[in-house]
Amino acid sequence: MIDYTVLYKCELPVEGDWPPEIRWDIFVSAYTAAERVRRVYEKVSAGSKHWLVFPEYGFAAAQYPSDAFTMVARDEAEYVKAFWDGSIGDIGGRALAIDITGFIRPYLIFLLRWLAERGVRRFDALYTEPVIYSDRERTRFSDEVVVEVRQIAGFEGMHNPETSNDYLIIGAGYDHQLIAQVAENKEFSKKIQLFGLPSLRADMYQENVLRAYQAEEAVGRSTADESSSYFAPANDPFVTASILREIVNRLSARKQITNLYLSPLATKPQVLGFALYYLTERRDTATSLIFPFCEAYNQETTMGMSRILKYTVELPAM
Amino acid sequence: MNLIACHGNRFFGAIRSSNGDLMKGTTLNPFNITKAVDFSDQEINDYWVDISSGSGFTGMAKPTSPMPMLILGGKGSGKTHLMRYFSYPLQRIRYGQDVLAGIKKDRYIGVYLRCSSLNSPRFREKGQKEEMWEEVFAYYMELWLSQLMLSTVMSAVGGTSELEDREGDIVKELSDLIHLHQQTPPATLSGINALLRDLQRELDGAVNNSAITRTLPVHIAVTRGDLVFGIPRAIEANVSSLRGCLFLYLMDEFENLSEVQQKYVNTLLRDRKSPCSFKIGARMYGIRTLSTYSADEDNKEGSEFEVLRLDAILRENQNYEEFAKRLIAKRLAEFNRIQSGPAMLDANAKSLSECFEEPAKSEFSASETGYVIKKYSGRERPYFKDLREHLERGLKAKAAPGMRQTTDIEKIVQWLKCPNYPVLEKANIFFLYQDWRSKRNLLEAARKIADECDSYLNGRGKGSRYEEGLLHWKADLLAQLCRDTDQPQRYVGFSTFVEISSGLPRNLLIVLKHIFAWATFNGERPFQGTPISMRSQQAGVSEASEWFYQDAKMIGREGQLVMDGINRLGTLFRGIRFSEKPSECSCSSFSSDVSKSSETARRVLDLAEKWSLLIGVGDQPDRNTDRIDRKYQLNRMLAPRWDLSIYRRGVLALTPRELDAVFDPQHVKEFDKLAETRVARMRAPFFGHAPRVSGDMMGNLTLYGDQDHD
Repeated sequence: MIDYTVLYKCELPVEGDWPPEIRWDIFVSAYTAAERVRRVYEKVSAGSKHWLVFPEYGFAAAQYPSDAFTMVARDEAEYVKAFWDGSIGDIGGRALAIDITGFIRPYLIFLLRWLAERGVRRFDALYTEPVIYSDRERTRFSDEVVVEVRQIAGFEGMHNPETSNDYLIIGAGYDHQLIAQVAENKEFSKKIQLFGLPSLRADMYQENVLRAYQAEEAVGRSTADESSSYFAPANDPFVTASILREIVNRLSARKQITNLYLSPLATKPQVLGFALYYLTERRDTATSLIFPFCEAYNQETTMGMSRILKYTVELPAM
Repeated sequence: MNLIACHGNRFFGAIRSSNGDLMKGTTLNPFNITKAVDFSDQEINDYWVDISSGSGFTGMAKPTSPMPMLILGGKGSGKTHLMRYFSYPLQRIRYGQDVLAGIKKDRYIGVYLRCSSLNSPRFREKGQKEEMWEEVFAYYMELWLSQLMLSTVMSAVGGTSELEDREGDIVKELSDLIHLHQQTPPATLSGINALLRDLQRELDGAVNNSAITRTLPVHIAVTRGDLVFGIPRAIEANVSSLRGCLFLYLMDEFENLSEVQQKYVNTLLRDRKSPCSFKIGARMYGIRTLSTYSADEDNKEGSEFEVLRLDAILRENQNYEEFAKRLIAKRLAEFNRIQSGPAMLDANAKSLSECFEEPAKSEFSASETGYVIKKYSGRERPYFKDLREHLERGLKAKAAPGMRQTTDIEKIVQWLKCPNYPVLEKANIFFLYQDWRSKRNLLEAARKIADECDSYLNGRGKGSRYEEGLLHWKADLLAQLCRDTDQPQRYVGFSTFVEISSGLPRNLLIVLKHIFAWATFNGERPFQGTPISMRSQQAGVSEASEWFYQDAKMIGREGQLVMDGINRLGTLFRGIRFSEKPSECSCSSFSSDVSKSSETARRVLDLAEKWSLLIGVGDQPDRNTDRIDRKYQLNRMLAPRWDLSIYRRGVLALTPRELDAVFDPQHVKEFDKLAETRVARMRAPFFGHAPRVSGDMMGNLTLYGDQDHD
């Protein structure tokens, strides 16, 4: 059984140059209007750098770098395949880094499966914490117009016709409408919410809870004899993966879970943790990652750069 | 202790000590669970309440009828509750060890499934053609339904000697339907089920991997319908305990399937074979097509299926309030695990109304409006302040018939006063505005109204304009009075909550859930002897309404269009209700000749109805022509959001242009102007006419402005 917490993470300086040994062959980042995404792109030293522009951000051609990869189709599998086949090809043994900060979650999640299938066993993920969300607990990350709730490609899993003990674990973010929609989609499942605590900044936990409360009716009852809220650090994918394992083991010990749905709606490090847990331990089981797909996302939701974190992610052999 | 408290004591036992070990000082809310999905099978059984109408819900849903049925209803109408009630797990709970005898008595065995658990959006794209996905999905459903049917049957008859004797024949018959390709056929029903499960898992894996591999290697081992109909046929023929029973597929959440996927299920309905039938549960917007793969023919209501429109039936059922009361009484009793026989349940249900404080009945609403006298003691009441302003402006603009000087204003105001009865003052002012709009001499009108008021007060107003008008407009006048005096609107009393729920039991539960929470927060002891305060009821209703509004946001971009339209409609209704001379009383409904509206407006209107934001309430003959227009009411759960009436009385006739302005984004820019033009006709001092004195551009010609009184 993998111990996620031995996986390596460290902090990189926000100001000043990085040590010369911090470099990669390939660097991939998702373009947004956020300072924390653009400055890191400039700081990174890599053999080749690649911007990805996701259609959901709604950038006009004049607004993003001319050499960025973009595609009209809003399909995470098609997008990643087209980018990878066109821009990277055979990665060989090259060192890869991905700035996950600006990624839209389904694209990031599918990319992980894609990398694992391409034989990538290890890569570095960078994440920059903001100083503050621009509108505090009222920050809207998406337009909250959900077009559908579905499994993320490559994470669709097996499914059990017996549904009497289904569970939905939601990584609860700020977008309460998204929480409500995914909870409504899996109305019959018992719900567990995973909050980011410690949060990225001290006040963000309270803001998170305030927002999540607005989805309370959709999330439904909490069972009397088990907690329905758990906590994992907002900036640690590895502890998140461990906590998920702990939650699932605890629930399974009481009664076998018939279908497990995971929905990571919180920070990108937590999203990474969800995906890592699935790929490492839940493939070929009745587990899937589901997501409320929105039409549009806000190009800029944060201010400042608080910390830059680097996670060394190890992917399982497929 | 007053009488109300005594009756309320009935429920003292219904809320036992709730300060359990886990909840130190926190009162558990008996209405926390509002959705059927949150109930276990045992709870569905324990909390079940039938409607006393004909043969109850069984009579409505007809589980023994071979004719397939669509059970349509809004969110919270009780579809899932109803379908689960007919499912085998509930039959098992009802009949215990004698489940086979019970099934024989019921004459059906129910297999319940949720379409959402198929996770059907997986079956598309990923580099494959649509035709391929159609085949794969149909195969997947075959495997899925077959496993559920087999598991149910095995649970019912497993271990019995009659199954043991006949299992070999059944297995042989079913194995012949599965194309095994040199695999050894299973020897038992469990073996068949395990094989089907393996085939399904294999398919899950292929579907999941197709996103990466862009291939979909699938071997279809079962022809469509062979097992779905074949399993029940084989069981019914070989197991005497189930002979003559209907094998009922209860497919819930049909809206989660795409059009193409629904086409497959429609084909099963059309090609239905005995001893099977189907009940399909769906939201009203959830039926995407009636088309089938049988020569692309459509299924037709009355021919291939019948329809049960659940919330419409409940809404119109005169026993709905009684059903609702028994539902709540049962909930309270079960929550605290108190045994209550039918007689006790009925008695508790009847006394529910006493658990909620309501304004005491009094002559001329004196008790209800007494606060106005206290609050404005020594000051002019806000509606008279407004009247003065309107009269001043009207006088200045020469738009106040009969008035010549400013002293006339004071005369009018004094005539209209009736200090002990604020609602009569409001009525007096209202009648003056009516006369003003009709351009009558205001001084004469005010004097006449004063006389009429005096007659009415002294019991001499029977049949008069005054009495008739007051009867007609009282609810609106009281609502205006609340607004004028900065009080929340009064949505109080159990009957009001039943009305607000619009035939959806879940809405009622949510309203009560929020009221209970507020009452507890306010230090009250709900259902424990003292009635819940109006303050807690108002807060709870307001919160429930806000929840409904937020929850109603539909998936997709069109959801936003619908909500925007509803917002405009609510704003228009509010503008009318709180104008000086509303054209319609208790306005929360409209009618329109939708055939002349834009296609987008019609589509958005249709979606709003399908999502239960608007309730279709029949047809309305146009006043001026022979035309019959469609009529809609804003869902009553939304009424508190705009301070509207929950009762359906006056109907606002909207022109096609106005309807477009409300519901079609292409015409939205016209909404403000059209709405203001309409409402202006109801507002003093000009009632829609241009002022004679130029430069008078003041006024409350906006729908959105609030009036400050203090």
